[in-house]
Amino acid sequence: MSNSSEAQADEVCLVDDDVSVLQSMHYLLASEGFKVRPFNKAEDFLTYASKNRVPVVVTDIWMDQVTGLELLARLCAISPKTKVIVITAREDLAARATAMAIGPVAFFMKPFDDEKFIGAVRDALNRP
Amino acid sequence: MSSDDRKSRLSRSAEQTRKESEEQLSLLQTITSELAAATDLSSALKIVLRHVCEKTGWALGQAWLPNEDGSILVCDSDWFCGEDDLQDFRVASEARHFERGIGLPGRVWESKQPAWVEDVVNDPNFPRSAAARTASLKTGVGIPILSGNQVIAVLEFFMRESRDQNERLVNVIAAVAAQLNLVMEQKHAVKELSRINEILQSILSNMGDGVIVADKYGNFLVFNPAAERMFGKGAMQMPPAEWSHHYGLYLPDKVTPFPHDQLPMTRSIRGEEVDNIEMFVRHEKAPHGLWTRITGRPLRGTDGNLLGGVIVCRDITQIKEEEFFRAGQSRVLEMIAADATLAEVLKSLVLLMEEQAEGLRCSILLLHRDGKHVRHGAAPNLPEAYVKAVDGAPIGPRNGSCGTAMFTRKPVVVTDVMSDPLWADYRGLARICRLSACWSTPIVSPQGEVLGSFAMYREEKRGPRPEEDRLTNIATHIAGIAIDRQRQHEILRERDARISLAAESADLAFWVLYPEGNAWMSDKGRRIYGFDSNLQLTCDLILSRIHPDERAAVKAEYDRGCSLHGTFESEHRLFLPYGKTRWVIMRGRCLQDEHGNLLETIGVTLDVSAQKQAALQVQVQREEMAHRNRVALMGEMTASFAHELNQPLTAIANNASAARRFLERGNMDPVLLPQLLQQMVADSQRAGEVIRGIRSLVRKETSEQNLLDLNSVITDTVRLVSSDILNRESVVTADLDPHLPQVPAALVQIQQVLLNLIINALDAVERLPPSERRIIISTRSDKGDVAEVSVRDFGIGLPKDRPDKVFDHFFSTKQRGMGMGLPIVRSIVEAHGGTITAENPPDRGARMVVRLPAARGHVQKSKAAA
Repeated sequence: MSNSSEAQADEVCLVDDDVSVLQSMHYLLASEGFKVRPFNKAEDFLTYASKNRVPVVVTDIWMDQVTGLELLARLCAISPKTKVIVITAREDLAARATAMAIGPVAFFMKPFDDEKFIGAVRDALNRP
Repeated sequence: MSSDDRKSRLSRSAEQTRKESEEQLSLLQTITSELAAATDLSSALKIVLRHVCEKTGWALGQAWLPNEDGSILVCDSDWFCGEDDLQDFRVASEARHFERGIGLPGRVWESKQPAWVEDVVNDPNFPRSAAARTASLKTGVGIPILSGNQVIAVLEFFMRESRDQNERLVNVIAAVAAQLNLVMEQKHAVKELSRINEILQSILSNMGDGVIVADKYGNFLVFNPAAERMFGKGAMQMPPAEWSHHYGLYLPDKVTPFPHDQLPMTRSIRGEEVDNIEMFVRHEKAPHGLWTRITGRPLRGTDGNLLGGVIVCRDITQIKEEEFFRAGQSRVLEMIAADATLAEVLKSLVLLMEEQAEGLRCSILLLHRDGKHVRHGAAPNLPEAYVKAVDGAPIGPRNGSCGTAMFTRKPVVVTDVMSDPLWADYRGLARICRLSACWSTPIVSPQGEVLGSFAMYREEKRGPRPEEDRLTNIATHIAGIAIDRQRQHEILRERDARISLAAESADLAFWVLYPEGNAWMSDKGRRIYGFDSNLQLTCDLILSRIHPDERAAVKAEYDRGCSLHGTFESEHRLFLPYGKTRWVIMRGRCLQDEHGNLLETIGVTLDVSAQKQAALQVQVQREEMAHRNRVALMGEMTASFAHELNQPLTAIANNASAARRFLERGNMDPVLLPQLLQQMVADSQRAGEVIRGIRSLVRKETSEQNLLDLNSVITDTVRLVSSDILNRESVVTADLDPHLPQVPAALVQIQQVLLNLIINALDAVERLPPSERRIIISTRSDKGDVAEVSVRDFGIGLPKDRPDKVFDHFFSTKQRGMGMGLPIVRSIVEAHGGTITAENPPDRGARMVVRLPAARGHVQKSKAAA
């Protein structure tokens, strides 16, 4: 239990509807030794989050089915303690403002600086 | 009788002759001295008859005088008889008269010579011979008395003795008779003189002019009654220096005593001739004074020495007063002409009228513009209380003299305000003012409108006299002019004020265009049109301010309106220096003379920019929504392109980074590395695909195509950006080919293309002066199977070497530009099977030409459907 709990504590959830982006982020975080749980669909992630403890989620806020903002809103209700890192491919000021209001720990424009991104994820996990 | 006898008789003794001579001389002396004392012909005759009879021995002497018409001689009542018994002959003589040549007197009368009759009884020409026989008369002699060549009397002497004709005696008697004639003439002259004197006296007494004669010491010799009346008293002896004071003589200023050395009489006495000197005279009998005009002449003796002077004084008081009255009227009229205030004019008028009659007071009241109430006009000599009470009183059929006169439009004569019913409400006032009679006459404008009333007041109960009626006529006439003029002024002033107020607040320009090409414009107008305040305006200058696009149309409308109905109205834009534009409404009216020739065109221009802006705002707001949608869509497209591109780039970056990290740590999974590399290649290809393949993205939407009329799409799209065009003070002109074929296309995408091109063009001309910020959109059909749309600007133009570089991705000449617009445009155009080219026209600017294939088979069908 403690192991599994430990494992879950290190796990980083990824949400992006662009498969190649999702996969590349998975590789990137894996290269730093993070445990990664990727989700291609926002709905799948929300389902997972409702049943498991999710310490950190990295999500796009521009997705076909459920927007990143909607996701964030629902995540707040399901798992208020989950730390959110937002990545987006487009500069949508309104969306960005809303996302910031919900309180992400970091915000990145695609493409982003890998070191800063990894640093943000590490900070979110409170990992040295 | 023979001549010898006569000689013997005549040759008497020398002594006798001497004695006779002495007697005759004594007779002459006696008669001459006595005649001098005779006062008239009758007494002179008596003297002569008596002395001749007594001294020369004649028994009877009598005289004959011609009657009035000179046809007969009549026996005069004076006669002398030396003896007692000759009465009968005298009676016989008195009973007779003689014609010329008849009897002794007739003979003398005719011959004008003495006649001697030696025997009157037997003389053939002596009709009284019977009486002479009875009286025993024997000798008779007749002597004529001549005055000049006229016989004025015939003397007749008789005696009983026979006496020879004695020439000497006849001569003596003739000499005496000549004396008599002399006396007679003298007396006659004196009588004439006294008659002339009488006439003169009569003239002097009765003439209207005053006549005064004074000797050289200033003693009055003549002071006729008219002069006495004029100067209040008659002649009194005093030094000339006291005359002015004593008789009340003043200079025309009415107060300065007339300097005595300048008085007409003084000057006349000095020898001057004085003409028409006007003098004012005031004394107890003429307390208001009178005016006299004096002419004076010196009086000189036959030797030319100054004896004194005479003056003739004419009373010109009436003439003078009339003159003053007319001058007063002129003064009031001048005040009116000089735009003195109505109060001043009316006051002067009232005072002038009051001066014309003793005890007269006048007032002028005005009718309020409501036509129902009285307003104070002028009443300088009526009590304040009365003036205040009347001001604001209503007019009506029983409202005093004035209120009634204005109401009935007829003169109202009230002889006693204390009993007249019209004054029932005003008796208290009348008592205070001590008024008894009040006559009021309405003052009527030339148009027949009642303006007020003129009233005369008197303290005695009576009606107006003709002179007062005359004054009233003059007063109402002048007052009418004054009030009417003031009203016109008021109306003009109000109208002016209203117009200028309206003009100021409504941004209204006034202007006048003259047929010769000159023009005038109000200051406000010059500001609206951007003309310098001292610029000489012409019609062409004003026309040149109209926006070039609308100038021809406005001119055409002006010509059409003026020729059709003499008016025109046009709403258009002005194009001002420094690129400002204004929306204006211009309204004009042509003024013509009676022959229909154009005199001028007057009108106004209303600046409606603000309203237009507001109206546009409403229209624009609606369009703004659509516009924003378009802009959002554009942004969206750009953003989605960016998103599409960023995704593979992100993936590549992540994968590369991951590979590097695995390698650095030496825990690289040999299977993973090729996968990462493979993934990076794939994502790179995908990125290229995104950039190249916007076409496919577009194609997704192009599926919904319709048949479009590009002309109307252009019109709609221009309207969509009209607010931008206006804000940027630019002009977009559409030159559209009406025969343009329809094209099958997606409306939204074609609008996207046009918007892009127009916005680009607006950006391109942004830095130019407003007058050059022009964009021309034109369409034309190329052989019927291609619809060509070109957008041309006059900006900086495209890259010289390769104008089509603009279609490259990320190329931009704009600082803010992303360089995405034209690639998208080209993608859209090409997705529709068309082409887009960019070129630099020969002069300057840029031209983008879009060519889209026309709908061949569908043209007819769609037209039929439409």
